[in-house]
Amino acid sequence: MPPGRRVRRMPFSPWHLVLIPATVVLGFPFLWLVVTSLETPAEALRFPPVLIPHALRLANYRDALDSAPFVRFFINSAIVAVTTVACNLVLCTLAGYAFARFRFLGRTALFAMIMATLMVPFQVTMIPQFIITKWLGVHVLAGVGINHLGALILPNAATAFGVFFLRQFFRTLPIEYEECARVDGASRLTVLVRIVLPLAGPSLATLAALTFLDSWNSFLWPLIAVTSTDQMTLPLGLATFQGAHSTEWTLLMAGNVMSLVPMLVVFFIAQRYFVRSVAATGLAGT
Amino acid sequence: MTAGTFARPGTGRGRRGGGRPGGGRPGGGRGRAARTVRKVADSEQFNGWAFVTPGAVIIILFWAAPIVWSAVMSFQRSNLLSPSTPYVGLSNYRQMIHDPIVSQAIQNTLIYTALFVPGTMVVGLFLAVAMNRNIRFISVYRTVAYATMAISTIGEAIIFTWLFDPSYGIANYVLSRAGLPQQQFLNSPSQALYVIVAMTIWGWTGFAVVVYLSALQGIPQPLLEAAAIDGAGPWRRFRAVTLPLLSPASLFLAVWLTINALQLFDEVYLSTQGGPLNATTVVVYYLYDQAFQQFNFGYASAIAYFLFLVIIVITVIQFRVGRRFTYYRS
Amino acid sequence: MAMTRCPLRRARVLAGLLSVLAAATVLAACGTDAQGGGSGSSASGPIQVWEGYTGADAKAFAHLVSEYQQQHPGQKVSTLYVNNDDTLQKVLTAVRGGSPPDIAYLYGSWAPNVAQIPQVVDLTQVVQRAGVDWGDFWTGERAVATVNGKVIGIPALVDNLAVVYNKTLFAKAGLPVPSANWTWQQFIADAQKLTDPSIKQYGTAYVTPGSEDTVWHWEALLWEAGGQLLSADGKQAAFDSAAGLASLDSLRTMAVTDKSMYLDPTDSAYANLFNSGKIGMLVTGPWDLANFPNVKYGVQVMPAYPGTSGGHQTISGPDNWVVFNNGSDRVSAAEQFLLWLTAPAQVESFSQATGELPTRQSVADKAGFIQQMNGSLPGVGTFVTNLGNVTQARPQITQYPKVSQILGTMVVSVLLGKSQPQAALATAAQQVNQALAGN
Repeated sequence: MPPGRRVRRMPFSPWHLVLIPATVVLGFPFLWLVVTSLETPAEALRFPPVLIPHALRLANYRDALDSAPFVRFFINSAIVAVTTVACNLVLCTLAGYAFARFRFLGRTALFAMIMATLMVPFQVTMIPQFIITKWLGVHVLAGVGINHLGALILPNAATAFGVFFLRQFFRTLPIEYEECARVDGASRLTVLVRIVLPLAGPSLATLAALTFLDSWNSFLWPLIAVTSTDQMTLPLGLATFQGAHSTEWTLLMAGNVMSLVPMLVVFFIAQRYFVRSVAATGLAGT
Repeated sequence: MTAGTFARPGTGRGRRGGGRPGGGRPGGGRGRAARTVRKVADSEQFNGWAFVTPGAVIIILFWAAPIVWSAVMSFQRSNLLSPSTPYVGLSNYRQMIHDPIVSQAIQNTLIYTALFVPGTMVVGLFLAVAMNRNIRFISVYRTVAYATMAISTIGEAIIFTWLFDPSYGIANYVLSRAGLPQQQFLNSPSQALYVIVAMTIWGWTGFAVVVYLSALQGIPQPLLEAAAIDGAGPWRRFRAVTLPLLSPASLFLAVWLTINALQLFDEVYLSTQGGPLNATTVVVYYLYDQAFQQFNFGYASAIAYFLFLVIIVITVIQFRVGRRFTYYRS
Repeated sequence: MAMTRCPLRRARVLAGLLSVLAAATVLAACGTDAQGGGSGSSASGPIQVWEGYTGADAKAFAHLVSEYQQQHPGQKVSTLYVNNDDTLQKVLTAVRGGSPPDIAYLYGSWAPNVAQIPQVVDLTQVVQRAGVDWGDFWTGERAVATVNGKVIGIPALVDNLAVVYNKTLFAKAGLPVPSANWTWQQFIADAQKLTDPSIKQYGTAYVTPGSEDTVWHWEALLWEAGGQLLSADGKQAAFDSAAGLASLDSLRTMAVTDKSMYLDPTDSAYANLFNSGKIGMLVTGPWDLANFPNVKYGVQVMPAYPGTSGGHQTISGPDNWVVFNNGSDRVSAAEQFLLWLTAPAQVESFSQATGELPTRQSVADKAGFIQQMNGSLPGVGTFVTNLGNVTQARPQITQYPKVSQILGTMVVSVLLGKSQPQAALATAAQQVNQALAGN
């Protein structure tokens, strides 16, 4: 074994001493979340918060599901999130790769414009966005406008974040392979698909996970764009537990826990792509 | 070679920077190669635009157009209530210069950003390096880090306002055990902002970890092994091999975190509401207050534009400085 | 240079394209779901009500809605939950986008500004109709629903501030519980005696985010001290008076001198603290009573300042149902629904089911009503009778949000000990005068 290579699965790695306290600090709020979701409503109204409930009240989960059409909200959120991720993966890969590798007239200006859209707070742009989305729904897209899931998907089908993120990643790849393939006569698309994408696993997985998270948790735009209960997504649904004067903590936290599960599943899956060793792809010797 | 985003194209600098599009040199090669080269040159414009257009159309339509609209609003007096929105020229901007809360908000935002961005990057990098190994439970550690991004902001706000409660929070409890004086935290105009810094670093660590983790995957083991064979210790290997290869991710994080930090809103809205005494009033919170609570939408748009210019300037500076320090492998 | 031997990833791209196609199909399919009740622009279809009821309130309201639809076949009502704090944002966006709801629940403090929206329907004639009995609504409500002589809303909710105290803590401290004619001196003394730093117990609490919540608690004290917020013509600050000084001094004594006041910057911890037995007295409203299942509490009217004209008066924060014009058919349907919803029978059943105060005096005066309310939510009866102590409302001016901000800063700076009451009053008065004159 070459020196310097760590033994796999060494059981008592000293890194645990770092990771365990870090995980406690990072994970402590989840403990509170789960505990609150299992308390009685009266216990949840205490301060400092109760960390060890008297009994585990799983009925909170059933109550949360009963109080509003959560299955519908869940399905809506899932449709929106999955479609958004799929569109982003395709569109941002294309655009990011173009910005990273191609030279075309107006490239800098266009990239600057796209980056600039990240720099104005949503509170200011949401009203014109609402008007544009509504106009599109009425005049162009046959009903896919305000109060339609499409209105939640379309504005985020490609994000400046995705384009920026993938552009940075593509630039880190050595250009030699792509140039080789081009000289051999491959088209740009073929180069992208056959040469670059295989190397992009971790980044695509990261983008997918982050986009999913963003879409799943998105609140403000759905708040503005959704005007009937059957089009609500999960965050809007959870908000029904949060009144202006009083909050149903146990139900809210039960809902939050249930909402977290898909995100954790997505990450668990995406996480496997992080560990693909790039060394196996033969980029040694660069 | 592609220079930085906002620089003039074509400033060649050897190994630095991103890919070099193949060909384009007249007379390079003969016969079949020459035809290929010409085809490449011809279709690069087309390809470039073809690849970029679908995504760009969506982003421009839904995000850039509204920005133009609100630029127009910033020159009007609008309260979002009545349809009459008379043009008032630069008076919104002039009002901004004389508004003491705006300067305090700018100050708060800059202090916040200066603490939050490096803080998150350092913590994220440290944890990512720690999690970039295949020891037992590593999936659990990583998932917990990711999950901190998933927790709703309201949950985050509640936990941290409790942790830092002057009477009942753990922070003061720890201080009292250590013999240090009790602090007022969120009740103190001089400390409240730092509590928000702590809260948001916690919330964003997961993001930094995820970005750095995926970048760490791109570092070829053979390079590290070669360095080890040459006698470099772990810290030296980290500084000389890992860090430079992580620089694109670092630049990305620095830019992205800064853009978000300068637009901080949710945590302030859900915990201190800009208080106490405007100690945590940041620019976006103030403009939200102006737009939807004071009904000064034109003024809020002007503030948003000012912030927009500040962010552009800072981002450009970051890209330029970043160009000198980031190392793209090609 | 070795080429990569990784297998073709064409599958990934194909999968991506397929999912986009699938999405398009899904969108087309879902397109049929969201008809009706959406933008509210179609002449028929249910009327859209945006409200923020949660918990028991939500169930009671949903029950009323279905009852209405049963009793009035052909009338359809669809409701949408929007947190009350967010409703204004959503309404303003919708109005600008040309899709306002038919009815929205809006805070009373927004009324002077909401009245400027052109789509808001003038209900002055509607409330004068036979059978509505506009005068039956409490004075404070009608004042908040009327802007410049125009009635822009029908009262949806009324509340007021009173003192909720922990009987157990009072007994432990050997203090007599507050009586109906108690004074602020007694309140301050009680608070001090109930404070025990060693067990982190406080006599009282105050919220300090500087928002209207901070301000309206203080305004009650100002009125009890016999003061006024603004001059009669509404153009000058009038709170920098002896009454203003007295009210701020009381707060300063508790927060800074006695340290008997827990300062809550989050506007939510204080209630949980009271419920955990850590606070002796709270100035709060009926909505909090349901949050105190773990303490034996009592309710008493606000204290008075002896020697002033203020008495035990209190402040009320009514909210409105506002109607938006989406065409005359929908407006009449909306009005019909609202008039039914706010009729005495429905007001009574809603109050009984939820513990919310009745918006009509006739309901409050009904024999046995208060006993029944106390039966389901102890102490709420005192809040009902306390409605009689509401004699004035906050100024109905469009600059009120700005004034509120100035006053919030004033109160918080005194509570945090950053400024003396006299100086704080003077600065705030000056700024308020500027705000009233300038804009």
